[in-house]
Amino acid sequence: MSILVANGLTQWFGPEVALEAVDLAIDAGEHMAVLGENGAGKTTLLRILATAARPTSGRLQIMGLDALKERRRLRHRIGYVSHAPGLYPALSAVENLEFFCTLQGVNRARARESLDLVGLGSVANRPAGLLSRGMQQRLAIARAILHDPRLLVLDEPDASLGSDAAELLGAMMHGRTVVLATHDQALANRLCQRTLTLRHGRSVGTATRLHVVK
Amino acid sequence: MTNSFAVAFAVARKDLRAEWRTRELVPALAQFVILALVIANFGFQIDSRNAPAIAPGILWLALVFAGLVAFGRAFAAEREQASLEALLMTPASPIAIFAGKALAATLLLVGCEAVLLPALAIFFGTPLSIQVVAAVFVATIGMASLGCLFAAMVARVRARELLLPLLTLPLWIPFIVAGGQAVQVAMGASGSYDQAMALLVDFDILFVVLTSLAARFVLDD
Repeated sequence: MSILVANGLTQWFGPEVALEAVDLAIDAGEHMAVLGENGAGKTTLLRILATAARPTSGRLQIMGLDALKERRRLRHRIGYVSHAPGLYPALSAVENLEFFCTLQGVNRARARESLDLVGLGSVANRPAGLLSRGMQQRLAIARAILHDPRLLVLDEPDASLGSDAAELLGAMMHGRTVVLATHDQALANRLCQRTLTLRHGRSVGTATRLHVVK
Repeated sequence: MTNSFAVAFAVARKDLRAEWRTRELVPALAQFVILALVIANFGFQIDSRNAPAIAPGILWLALVFAGLVAFGRAFAAEREQASLEALLMTPASPIAIFAGKALAATLLLVGCEAVLLPALAIFFGTPLSIQVVAAVFVATIGMASLGCLFAAMVARVRARELLLPLLTLPLWIPFIVAGGQAVQVAMGASGSYDQAMALLVDFDILFVVLTSLAARFVLDD
């Protein structure tokens, strides 16, 4: 059964079309990679799927709800990792997560659990601004899973993660429906069952993992 | 479900904790208001007769410009850290987030006023009474709600430093008029202090309610 259904998603930025009539259906528990060159529309598509942006036109249904009208209700169930970690540099890693626990309405104990899951337990009290770029990315991933979302939307989460990116992301993605944008086709092939390729904002086709391997 | 009071309190505490650790805003604002008083002290021929007439004007000028900086930073810092999106991607009520930001900005400006008011008394020899403090504090509440709303509106546009004063200053005029009158009366001028304070409280209620309602549309893009 499809957990996410998009029809004709289109996004204009002034005279430029960033996304043009993209259709998509993702089943519960499925992992889909979104591939494409820079400027292909990956981030625009993911921001719409994460309910961070509204499309100019098109329809989007997530978990049976109209994602353009029920955004706040859906945000309990969606975890989003964007390009920028978006952390508070003066707060420690655990303080960053505890703050978002309050905003998500989950127990603050989840902060330490999430830090341990992404391997940051040992730097929990270090200010986020003093963490390396890779650690900040891990912290952003930990924030995205604080509320145990059913749908994860990950925009190039492998950037600056290091050699164990696939293992970490695989563990985070397990049991969840995932949309993952990446430039790394090998990573997409390893973590996802299906790929969607975008070019100039248009879908140029989807492929299952077997086809990509071929 | 998220508790709106817990969210507002968490947002305010987060902003105050970040300010306490970085000390970016309050020391700079305190220096600014002291410099403003020094310049005014040299710019005007101040003596014991004209000080009660001039000091309230200087007080509100310094407060208005310090407020513009304080409220502008409330959302500019979120934008610079790219954390505004993460904040708004939570199911927390935009009104609660706005209330938390406004509360923190208000308390930071109150910290600045704690420097400004004694300095005004020292430089101008005006009385530092509870009436003066109350008038400034009550005006700060309404000014903060308006300042934070417009700061949130302009946080994502390019010319925000220019737009924020253009949008905010006209709507701060009622606070400056009523607050100025209250402070003048508290410093010895004739008039009704209670009437000016009642007007300030009315403006507070009006603008706090209006900005809370508008915050939902400003923050929920």
